[in-house]
Amino acid sequence: MDNVITKSKDVTLLEILDRVLDKGVVISGDIVISLADVDLIYVGLKVLISSVETMERLRGAPFAGGQEEPN
Amino acid sequence: MIQNLIYLYCLTNKVPKLKEIEALVDNIYFIFHQGLYAVTGRVSSNEFSEENLRKNLGNLEWITAKASIHEKVIETVMQNSCVIPFKFGAIFNTEENLKTMLKKHIKEFKDTLKHLEGKEEWGVKIYCDMGKLKENLIQDAEELLNLDREINSASPGKAFILKKKKEESANTIVNKKLNECGQESFERLKQYSIQSRINKLLPIEVTERKDEMILNAAFLADKNKVKEFVGVVDVLKAKYSDKGIDFDCTGPWPPYNFCSLSGEKAQNG
Repeated sequence: MDNVITKSKDVTLLEILDRVLDKGVVISGDIVISLADVDLIYVGLKVLISSVETMERLRGAPFAGGQEEPN
Repeated sequence: MIQNLIYLYCLTNKVPKLKEIEALVDNIYFIFHQGLYAVTGRVSSNEFSEENLRKNLGNLEWITAKASIHEKVIETVMQNSCVIPFKFGAIFNTEENLKTMLKKHIKEFKDTLKHLEGKEEWGVKIYCDMGKLKENLIQDAEELLNLDREINSASPGKAFILKKKKEESANTIVNKKLNECGQESFERLKQYSIQSRINKLLPIEVTERKDEMILNAAFLADKNKVKEFVGVVDVLKAKYSDKGIDFDCTGPWPPYNFCSLSGEKAQNG
């Protein structure tokens, strides 16, 4: 299968936080990790509030025609 | 440990080949319901009860290990069929509860699987070494060179003000370039994809890189178009490499970004 293309795809902390813990179908199961729970991980990582603010500020200027996060 | 809870990894429409994953995780099996296969595993409330799960989320090592398993299980299933990945930590007390959930959303799940058939999720993250970009832009910015000349012949007081002005102008030029690069890249990649999404930027504590993330985007591309899509990333990468801007293209991922329920699907791009 030489037409299968893959690019370096390690399951890094980055991808865990960006995909596995943040996206995917959320249903009302009996137990579901909430957004607040995921924030705990950021606190654990000692990501300072100031850098979170920077993130928000940067996010505040989406590119024209770009689709913003729906949630 | 009693494995008394059911963990849901993903849904698929073909019999999942679990042999490979069985080596990776204990107690993995599937539940068939109305044409869908739910790939599930038995887990213990010692780890996954609401209270214990929250506690474990504070343990980075635990999350990394468990989230990697989550990803690997889904990727294995994805090798043979289309999947709907669930977010980490979707847990049910009983099989009955899981089936009730499936019944409730059956049409949406089937429609989503149909929509995802033959498509792949790819991620493109753009990073910038701000110092390098600034240096590169400053050296040939006419207005900054003019300011430099003025500063050299100005009184100390005026030079101070001009230097501030120069700093501001430099920042404006840098921001303009970042926007330009992000917008151009996103728009060009969008043309080779079916859906696209801009996600939040993540800080260096998470990216574990020295340069700053300036765009975090996800794309759903036709499998036959992936080669062209990756080709566009390479073109952009070459174009911006001397500016301290780097592109990180990864995939194919389970379609985490393109399977949300209740009409939250990203628009056509």
